[in-house]
Amino acid sequence: MARLDANKATLVKDTLGKLIDRKLLASLEVCVRCGICAESCHYYLADPRPEHAPFYRSEQVRRLYRSLFDPIGRHLPWWVGAQRPTEESLAQLAEMAFSTCTLCRRCTLNCPSGCDTAQIMRAMRTVAVAAGLAPEMLVQLADASIAREEHLEDFKEIYLEQVRALEEEVREATGDPQAHIPVDVEGADILYVALSGAHTILPAAILFHEAGSNWTLSMFEASNYGVFLADTARAKRITERIVREAERLRVREVVVTDCGHAYTTLRWEAPNWFGKPFPFQVRSLIELVAGWISDGIITVDPTHNPEPVTYHDSCNLGRNSGLIEEPRTILRAVCQDFREMTPNREHNYCCGGGGGLVATPEWTDLRLKAGGPKAQQVRATGAQVVAASCDNCRIQLGDISEHYALGTRVVGLMELVVKALVPQRAKGHPLEADVA
Amino acid sequence: MSTLEVVTGVLALTGLAVCVVGLGWRVSGVQGRPFRWDVAPAKGSAARGVAYAFTLGMAPWAKESTRRHLLAYVRGILLHLAIFAGLAWLAASPWHAEVPKVVRLLTASVLTAGMAMGLAGFWMRRREPALRQLSTPDDYASLGLVTLFLATAALSAVAAWCLPGLWALSGLMLAYIPFGKLRHFVYFFYTRTFFGLLFGRRGVLESAR
Ligand code: SF4
Ligand code: SF4
Repeated sequence: MARLDANKATLVKDTLGKLIDRKLLASLEVCVRCGICAESCHYYLADPRPEHAPFYRSEQVRRLYRSLFDPIGRHLPWWVGAQRPTEESLAQLAEMAFSTCTLCRRCTLNCPSGCDTAQIMRAMRTVAVAAGLAPEMLVQLADASIAREEHLEDFKEIYLEQVRALEEEVREATGDPQAHIPVDVEGADILYVALSGAHTILPAAILFHEAGSNWTLSMFEASNYGVFLADTARAKRITERIVREAERLRVREVVVTDCGHAYTTLRWEAPNWFGKPFPFQVRSLIELVAGWISDGIITVDPTHNPEPVTYHDSCNLGRNSGLIEEPRTILRAVCQDFREMTPNREHNYCCGGGGGLVATPEWTDLRLKAGGPKAQQVRATGAQVVAASCDNCRIQLGDISEHYALGTRVVGLMELVVKALVPQRAKGHPLEADVA
Repeated sequence: MSTLEVVTGVLALTGLAVCVVGLGWRVSGVQGRPFRWDVAPAKGSAARGVAYAFTLGMAPWAKESTRRHLLAYVRGILLHLAIFAGLAWLAASPWHAEVPKVVRLLTASVLTAGMAMGLAGFWMRRREPALRQLSTPDDYASLGLVTLFLATAALSAVAAWCLPGLWALSGLMLAYIPFGKLRHFVYFFYTRTFFGLLFGRRGVLESAR
């Protein structure tokens, strides 16, 4: 076992030490290793080996913590199972934190003590980043997001051209030759933050147009790979781009596309990094659309989606953000045959694609295996279509549909809404502003 | 009072003092760490989340895990109830003769049941591969101390001559609490509160929406 050199040992200790706030310390200390959270984790259900149990994982980090911060662990390590880090153990811990925990918090909900294993794994990811042991792909993606703002002028024209190219499809879908996609509009009510690619811009543009919203499209993408790295400095810089843009355009609200981690980040986590609430409201497109449907601002016809549809609750949107009933309001309105998975809502199983797993090709096999419980859930519904409200989940659900031969089609929630949409605006239907 | 009773009584009180000081040190360790309230506007109710975390959220039917591991969970609950009963008996034990016999017999039965739950804990720890792999000497020592404490408490409730044994063991157990796994109960109140705040504020828990 290669000992850590003094600099690295200090770096690990300092990094972990700075992360230990009251919440993390309590979770590090509270676990009694009772073992009852094992089956709450989709990794363990898919492959019930001890190392896939949540408490097994968190215990590995506790061993490190005890060896560095607990007096008993420092002086009698064998008594409490403390383990000083070595090059090998640190690399193993890093791999464990990035590849075998999607930070879904299902185990937290199931622990009688409420131990936040996801927070412990997140702390381990931060330590791994500091020690240079984070997955290269996540680091590159995070840095690319930061670079996008630094080189915005180089991007802007190409981006605007791509957006212009999409407008024709918006006109076609809405039947309105005036329909367009506003970008960089000062004084708009809403700044809409999409993901890279047309699939989250187009449905939203159609729906915003139909609702008559005063909106503008962000120059930046919603995804935040700094969050997957648990690297607050990077995550904050990526978020800052959107915050600055929202402030510059003086919008009243930032609406995040259907993306789990992006919403959780902007809605719940990021204000803590800035130490104050944002001067604008943060909502998910899902909340807006559910409201539009309930208030009759947009008209939908469920017969346009006749096949049996089931819904996968993204862990970030549901369990971590409380967006639980809104997607159901939408699905009941836009589908003829909506079927719940069991379990569902905050108890839903993680699909296995969260926590950045979808973006790290080295762990594809593990990810597909961990998707086993989700595949069983989907199959049991008999649905032909799986609706996802998060892009990472959508990719993972597509992969597991193929891998487990489920024969299901995976669609974004907003695609279903657009398919059910009965364009009314050209007929003088009330706009969002009129109803408000 | 016999010399043995005096010596073991002093042991128990010393253990209690170490426990109080040690736990104070542990609590100040947590309190000394930063804590920041979430600043994002709430969707649900943090207060209702915390209330749920300490009440219905602890019910055996509230979680998939406890439904699945009902026996293990009920064992844990009974063990903890017996420990509280044991501590109450420890406090009352110097007045052994004044406690009505029926109360002592009742106490002894509760404590014996608790001791059985403690023994079952050893069996569970050995049976589950993951628990077996992870268990440390501290796990066994903590469970052993508690089980012995319950056993001596049960015995002393029916036979006064066992009181020195209870006091000696209590001194040892109490003194060990801040240094071993038994201290987890202090952190339980923190993690359950944080659980309620998180899932309540974000409107995840049905009762807090
Ligand atoms: S995390 Fe909770 S449920 Fe899991 S072993 Fe620890 S105390 Fe038990
Ligand atoms: S947070 Fe999710 S993935 Fe991680 S250990 Fe818990 S249940 Fe498993």
